[in-house]
Amino acid sequence: MRSPEEAVARAVVALARGLRAAGVPAGIDEELTLCRALAEVDVRRREDVYWAGRASLLRRIDDLATFEAVFERWWGGQRLEAVGAPIAEQSESDPRMPGPQHGGESLPQFRHEGRSGHILDGKAMPALRPLELPSSADEQPGEEERRGVLAAYSPNEVLTEREPLGLGADEAATVRRLAEALKMAAPQRASRRLRPAGSVGRLDVRRTVRGSLATDGEAIRIARSSRTLRPRRLLFICDVSGSMERHSRVLLASLQGVVGADIKAETFVFATRLTRLTTTLGSADVAGALDRARSAVEDWSGGTRIGEVLAGFNAEWGRRGLARGAIAIVVSDGWDRGDPELLSRELERLQRQSRRLVWLNPRPADLGGQPLAVGMRAALPYIDDYIAGHDPHAVGQLVRLVHGLGAGRAVRRQRPSSTTSSQQRR
Amino acid sequence: MPGPLDSIEQVGEALAAERYLVDEGLATVVFLALRLRKPLLVEGEPGVGKTELAKAVAAASGSELVRLQCYEGIDVHHALYDWDYPRQLLHLRAGGTGSLYSEEFLVRRPLLEALERPGTVLLIDELDRADDEFEAFLLEFLSDFQVTIPEIGVVRSEQPPVVVLTSNRTRELHDALRRRCLYHWIDHPDREREIAIVRSRRPELSERLVQQVCTFVEEVRWLDLYRVPGVGETLDWAQALHTVGDGELTADVAERTLGALLKAREDVERVRRGHLEELAAKARDAVA
Repeated sequence: MRSPEEAVARAVVALARGLRAAGVPAGIDEELTLCRALAEVDVRRREDVYWAGRASLLRRIDDLATFEAVFERWWGGQRLEAVGAPIAEQSESDPRMPGPQHGGESLPQFRHEGRSGHILDGKAMPALRPLELPSSADEQPGEEERRGVLAAYSPNEVLTEREPLGLGADEAATVRRLAEALKMAAPQRASRRLRPAGSVGRLDVRRTVRGSLATDGEAIRIARSSRTLRPRRLLFICDVSGSMERHSRVLLASLQGVVGADIKAETFVFATRLTRLTTTLGSADVAGALDRARSAVEDWSGGTRIGEVLAGFNAEWGRRGLARGAIAIVVSDGWDRGDPELLSRELERLQRQSRRLVWLNPRPADLGGQPLAVGMRAALPYIDDYIAGHDPHAVGQLVRLVHGLGAGRAVRRQRPSSTTSSQQRR
Repeated sequence: MPGPLDSIEQVGEALAAERYLVDEGLATVVFLALRLRKPLLVEGEPGVGKTELAKAVAAASGSELVRLQCYEGIDVHHALYDWDYPRQLLHLRAGGTGSLYSEEFLVRRPLLEALERPGTVLLIDELDRADDEFEAFLLEFLSDFQVTIPEIGVVRSEQPPVVVLTSNRTRELHDALRRRCLYHWIDHPDREREIAIVRSRRPELSERLVQQVCTFVEEVRWLDLYRVPGVGETLDWAQALHTVGDGELTADVAERTLGALLKAREDVERVRRGHLEELAAKARDAVA
């Protein structure tokens, strides 16, 4: 016969173990907290136990769906092993995330009147409805069908042949080189923290008084302090749909090695939906996270809806200040099958929040003078820097650019140098 | 004098008496924070009343609230203690004797204050704005409730304060800190709760207007706005409608007062252009 205390302890351990199996970190500290908490509430009441468990074991709201699933089974006395990792996916879905039903009606026609229009075809565009795309079921990801989908949306689009990936066989070496380069170039910003300085900076009264003790209260030596430098945040929003995936993978693998003390980076990947990788980036599961991000995509070869993805980012993360002061880097080929005006609007918002907005396009269609993807054209007016090119070269360029964006006043460059104005007026 | 807080119900009632209405979940968590003396980490969208919670807990338990607002670059001298340098200098110049580093010259900052006065509620607001170093320092503070001031010695708390930490999640807090806390996520209230909140906070408003406002706001929250209005905005707006209008939510009055509810140009335009008439009518219908 078990004592009640032991029964509670065993149950707590079982619940925590179930959570850990489902990918929610719940350690011994949390278990102890819950044991203490359960001593304070009525353990026969489901509500009490639920809230005690939630407050003690849950550490971030993103894990709530998993917690609830595990708790449900635990309270019901079921075995917990069956609750697996896939639940984590649910936590991303938010009814307020902009879905297709919002894309069209959210277009404020007073904004940028004709701006996107003249980019496209010289006249202001009518209010766009989200395009009715053929369902993915009857589509093969072949060239013909891809052309069909995109051509329906961007008549001027000229599809090039499948481009070479621009990567040698030894990806690992590339990754290492890029990681090294990124580390060297980590941009910095002035922190509000102060540290002792020689003859420059502001008066450090504390140290001056200290020093004056030795001279009987005469402040002979004036101590000064100046601001320290901290790593400036890099914000990566990487397209992992279709063939973009390999480019992003190389970049992310490079990041994985250096994020930490030297580089502060927030990383998001998207195909059709945005996934935050930052917490994953520290672990070895980058590949797994990429696969999960991709598996959520039904029709990846038809392009992505970048506008909606950015709207999702702005609503969920940008609003809380994640992009403030950061160097935002969008990695995508700009093959957007969503609403270009939405893309312009959300990109502008992102630009306003960030210190500098860089667009890295590893698969530029315009290298041979061909017109840009519609999404790319819609995006150009709001990008500070447009870097087009294949991996090692482009990332090298990115590294050089980022290196120069440290402290000092934010600089905007409204027109990318790599495109001609005639292209934007088409 | 506030009543006892010996059960979840009593906590809920005491907070309600301070006009802070909680659901069962939050009441349970606050009760546990008081009983276990564990810091309570509260996250949620801006404007759901995270800071207000700490104020209400302080009032409900009859304690004093000590508030520490975090910002980037905050350090020990802003949070814990500092020395009164001008006084020290003057003391030296005047040929004063005795130690310069005694209680006399100590400037107490919020954390030290919370330690020295027994039974306070300590609010550490927007911790995500502070940087990692400060969080690490806080970790030590929160586990022992004692600090060492090299010149004076160890200051220990007789009765550890009730600690409420809030975060807007602009930065992910460290797991080590989360482990020391109870965690709660505050959501936007549903319509019924919001009506109850507005009713208790703005008793002068007519029941009819309160219901219309809350119906309207609930609809607006689903509009995929840039800045979703929180309870604070609802209260402001209800007050504005009461002041300007005649106790009825009409599209006209709503349009003129929309700035009290929505704080981004895009959102104001969006609601104004697309939904105002419809929403106002819907809100009126729901109450009629």
